[in-house]
Amino acid sequence: MLIKIAWRNIWRSRGRSLVVLGSIVVGIWALVAAVGFMNGFIVGYMADSINHDISNIQIHNPEFKKDKEVNYIITDAETKIDKIQTWPGVKAATSRVLVNGMIASPKKAAGVQIRGIKPKEEAKVTQLDSLIGDGAYFEGIKRNPILIGKKLAEKLGVKVKSKVVLTFTDSHQNLTSAAFRVAGIIESSSLNLNEGYAFVLHSDLTRLLGVQDAHEIAILTDPQVDESIIVTKYQSEYPGDLAETWREIAPELALIQEMYSSMLYVLITIVMIALVFGILNTMLMAVLERFKELGMLMAVGMARIKVFGMVLLETIFIGILGAPIGLLLGWLTMFYYTQVGIDLSAYSEGLESFGYSSILYPYIENSTYWTIAIAVIITAFVGAVYPAWKAVKLKPVEALHKI
Amino acid sequence: MSVIKAENINKVYNEKTIPVHALNDVNIEIAKGEFTAIVGPSGCGKTTLLNILGGLDNPSSGKVIVGDTEITKLSDAELIDYRLKHIGFVFQAYNLIPVLTTMENVEFIMLLQKRPKVERDARAMQLLEEMGIGDKANQRPSQLSGGQQQRVAVARALASKPEFVLADEPTANLDSTSTSALLDIMAKMNEEEGATFVFSTHDQRVIDKARRVITLEDGKVISDERR
Ligand SMILES: Nc1ncnc2c1ncn2[C@@H]1O[C@H](COP(=O)(O)OP(=O)(O)O)[C@@H](O)[C@H]1O
Ligand SMILES: [Mg+2]
Repeated sequence: MLIKIAWRNIWRSRGRSLVVLGSIVVGIWALVAAVGFMNGFIVGYMADSINHDISNIQIHNPEFKKDKEVNYIITDAETKIDKIQTWPGVKAATSRVLVNGMIASPKKAAGVQIRGIKPKEEAKVTQLDSLIGDGAYFEGIKRNPILIGKKLAEKLGVKVKSKVVLTFTDSHQNLTSAAFRVAGIIESSSLNLNEGYAFVLHSDLTRLLGVQDAHEIAILTDPQVDESIIVTKYQSEYPGDLAETWREIAPELALIQEMYSSMLYVLITIVMIALVFGILNTMLMAVLERFKELGMLMAVGMARIKVFGMVLLETIFIGILGAPIGLLLGWLTMFYYTQVGIDLSAYSEGLESFGYSSILYPYIENSTYWTIAIAVIITAFVGAVYPAWKAVKLKPVEALHKI
Repeated sequence: MSVIKAENINKVYNEKTIPVHALNDVNIEIAKGEFTAIVGPSGCGKTTLLNILGGLDNPSSGKVIVGDTEITKLSDAELIDYRLKHIGFVFQAYNLIPVLTTMENVEFIMLLQKRPKVERDARAMQLLEEMGIGDKANQRPSQLSGGQQQRVAVARALASKPEFVLADEPTANLDSTSTSALLDIMAKMNEEEGATFVFSTHDQRVIDKARRVITLEDGKVISDERR
């Protein structure tokens, strides 16, 4: 009967119930959308950067970090890689030779980091092969193939099979130039991949540079692995090298991640506080309006706990009605935008220079929907506690005599 | 045997600011099966007395004994339970739960008492028939006239066969036809079921139907006559 009364009370003052229902629906919807977009913006970009560029862990010669002199190599890189790959939590590792130089087409020239990579191993660590738009991953060109980003290609005015010239200083301080042919064009939201890097074969670059081994080892870990454990292990095994996690290599990413979580908390808190006060206010009105009726119920012997429960039940019912609607709206919004993306190109001048892509794809985990729905229902519940308490505290005689 | 015994009841409102002596040394005994009116002009203390007899309010001094329980000693929570199990109430207005049907309203007290559904249904229907509103069982209170609503309230108060029914000016909002109809029904239930009624009024037509009339003036009992 309590349930019946609470349920029917919802329909009794439809306007007010709609306000509560509306706030719950909008609360859930807003949170789902906010989480989705922030995820898309930050996590998407971070994932891109870490998975395709930085990797979880990088190893260098400590001197190379300070001064990009090509002679500061990691000794016995291949032996080390073979060893690392047997460690738990390590998915793949690869080595690279790096040198800063110039890339030139007949039209233009630009500064790049030339990365001598081993295609098969590199693909395992950074999935570089999956980013190829036009052309192919080091295929179709017999001598000196090169991969460059789409933006760089546009800047240089080159296409697949075009010739470019790389110029850099070799290990003997001689300026060296060599001709390469574009094998493929890389498409990525990352600024580095898009215009900062030129990928060539490890064997080509070591030959031209006159160095052995590698300047960099990149390690991909399994998901959810604490990278610092592997770093510590490496460091104790090879104290001469410098191992760092992505947090140290790209502190700005770590900062973004931190900002992202605190922004999310602030946002969630704001929505919840608004919800608590909205519901508190409306339910308090409902209680005040029914003061006499509630007084009568207690006068004839309805226990206070039941009165309390009745007022709470009303809000819980509205929450249970509102949650699926909010979730559905949120899900539809996510579904739509994950299909079409959100074109930020109108605002993306600034964004792209930070390495963001101009099309944003929101992303949300399924479990987040439930977390949000439950959080909102609990919030609604909290908002209803004070009005229910107010109802319980009223004295039947006084309530009945207020005319 | 007396059902209610009120001994030396005093009630002072606003003790600390401007004291109002609503009841002065009131002594009353009500026996089982009585049909008693508490009468007197507005402000004489009728409502205050009924609230104290029904355990809705505490006297400033004195005690109320119902059956063999001194209800003036009970805690707030115990009083709610006591009212539920032993006393029926009819108020001047706002008696019914608007979102429940007539039938559900009558069953409400029995439901709080956790009586079985079969018993509730039978009793509620029987009472509604006796009140002449059996056809209104599935309607909401708002679809009923004021007189019909008060009959539903009486039915609800009687449903669980309480020790006594307290009714504070139950006819104050009713026209004369509804007033006498309600009084006739109360009198009938008093005779048929032996239900004990204590009701307040300042309406002469109602007073005429009572079998015992206790008159209050300025919070004092000035006469108590049986007829
Ligand atoms: N809650 C209260 N606070 C202060 N004075 C009250 C209160 N309730 C009643 N009174 C006063 O007590 C007296 C008796 O009131 P009441 O019992 O309501 O009389 P009646 O029901 O006979 O009209 C009146 O003078 C009234 O003003
Ligand atoms: Mg009164």
